[in-house]
Amino acid sequence: MAEATSSSRNKVYALGVVGFLAILSILYYLSAPVYIYIIVYMWFGFIYGALQQYGRFCFASAWRDLIMVKVPRMFVGIMMGLMTLSIISAGLMVKYPSFYHPSPIGLHEVIGGLIFGLGMVFAGGCATGSLYKTGEGNMVSLVVLLSLSFSQAIFVASPIFDPIMDAIHATGPNSVKALTPDTWHWPQYLMTDKIFGIAEGQHATFIQNLIGNSLINTILIGMILLIGVYIVVVRKGFLKQRGAKMSQSADGGEVKMSLGDDVAGFWSMISASKRTTIAAVALGVVAAVQVFTMTWMRNDYNFGDAQGVGNFGLVYALNPDGSRRAVGDGASVGDWPAADPSQSTQPKYKVNPTNNKLEAIPGTGGNMFDPGYWYITTQEAMFAAWVMDKTLPESVTGNLKAPHYNTDTTYPKAIQEQLPPNQPENGNRYFGGAGIGNGNAIPSPWLSPALLLSIGLILGASFLSLWNREFKWKFPTKELALYAIGGGILMGIGSRIALGCNIGAFYTRAAFGSWGGWLFFFGMGAGAYISAKVVNYIANKKMTKQLEDMDFDIEL
Amino acid sequence: MKFNKKDDGSYELDVTGYVCPHPQLYTLKCMDKLNEGMVMEVLIDNPSSVESITQACSGKGYTILDTNHPKAGVTAMKIQK
Repeated sequence: MAEATSSSRNKVYALGVVGFLAILSILYYLSAPVYIYIIVYMWFGFIYGALQQYGRFCFASAWRDLIMVKVPRMFVGIMMGLMTLSIISAGLMVKYPSFYHPSPIGLHEVIGGLIFGLGMVFAGGCATGSLYKTGEGNMVSLVVLLSLSFSQAIFVASPIFDPIMDAIHATGPNSVKALTPDTWHWPQYLMTDKIFGIAEGQHATFIQNLIGNSLINTILIGMILLIGVYIVVVRKGFLKQRGAKMSQSADGGEVKMSLGDDVAGFWSMISASKRTTIAAVALGVVAAVQVFTMTWMRNDYNFGDAQGVGNFGLVYALNPDGSRRAVGDGASVGDWPAADPSQSTQPKYKVNPTNNKLEAIPGTGGNMFDPGYWYITTQEAMFAAWVMDKTLPESVTGNLKAPHYNTDTTYPKAIQEQLPPNQPENGNRYFGGAGIGNGNAIPSPWLSPALLLSIGLILGASFLSLWNREFKWKFPTKELALYAIGGGILMGIGSRIALGCNIGAFYTRAAFGSWGGWLFFFGMGAGAYISAKVVNYIANKKMTKQLEDMDFDIEL
Repeated sequence: MKFNKKDDGSYELDVTGYVCPHPQLYTLKCMDKLNEGMVMEVLIDNPSSVESITQACSGKGYTILDTNHPKAGVTAMKIQK
């Protein structure tokens, strides 16, 4: 009876979460119809959160559990999700050829991945894993999130890291330091573009995307890794157990293993956790649907075009004459909110070589972090940056809004000379290349679409965990708080160096054809290996101490 | 972490309050200490750890005799070596 009452109560709470989000959605829409864009981001976050909670989906587990307890569950899940998203994105890239801006490839991804991987094992979860676990009532994960968010902002604000970051970001075939908003998209750094020689301005076909980005960059590499995991981690134990069973059936006779047994073993590894596999595939599908939806909405509301280029910040952008700036025919500007000077930035300009006149660079001015797909740490960094900006003096936070981008030596002097006075440089590489100045690089949290995704993710996990009676408030002990803070700091630093986390720097990059995503993944693995050893050592010491005082009839 | 003997050949491990990877780590380390045939009941309030422990037991040939939920958010797993 008590259990039935508790179950009903939890279901009411779960529905309360949905009700809260529904009310929030209505309020946003009533404020300005175009805010339905933010609402949709939030509901996608809700779905991600529910699916992650269902599938116990955490990227930290992929490397950590593989190393520490020889469980490949999440490693398999991630590969399944990656392959799913990659196959669907082959079509998305034909429909919206410019929706994805591949990040520069370089050592910064390996270094960032290593530091991130170190942190995620201490923290007990990756960036997105910590979000969904917070939704389950796990306040240790909330400590991770806060630590991760503020460490990123402090890292960006601290000028001492700039020379180091400039050096790290200058490695690789295309330097982050040399990026300008109109070169943020690097067309040659997707696998398809490289293999088929797709020139800038041209677009690959569906088959080319499928072969290059999906088959080679994701499926082939993913399958090689899965076979490797099977051979190194799973095979011995599986064949031993299978052999013992077969020997029993053969009345103790000799049993010879064949390739068929290995195939069975590989399949058993893939299918071991149905929950995780279902969640993985579903997450891949939802991530693809999100790309389609956000890109379509941008175009529909005229802050994006049919190619997939767009940015929610354009809703606040002003033309040089002060009029509202739309990418399309402006028909939907009436659905936009009133012009908000605190959120607006003037566009950046370049000289048109055909007529020698200054013109606004597309995508600048009113340029906020709006990836249009699943991303996590960057919006959290911006949230912490906003808090710091509002509460601390500029002498402390000044570097937060500094360009971190294009110094005089790399940006064409001829253009700089013609820019309006006090024209800010081309944006903050740490905040998704968003423009700085009056706003947008650090938007108000309630107007940051990607941040609403993160909040939706927490609440999606809350909904499902409440519904299934898995929600439980859990508060950190001193030990767990130390792990959470330390892990969060490392994850924060790693994610700014790599310009993304397990989702933004690995999952979406690798799925959309950027092999830089794999650099981050292997960096994560190396970092996770080191911190797994540390955690294991501490756990052993703790256990030995505790068991020594106990009376057992077992050997210690 | 609380590790107690319940009766002959039967133990209880309480890792509630812990987050990944501690529940699965302590569970397997304690199971390693037991002799074959012994049973250990683990109390966990971290759903992702339950998933990992289930798979780890399968890999090691341990048998999960029972899984139930004594209260909301808590899973009790009875594992035999």
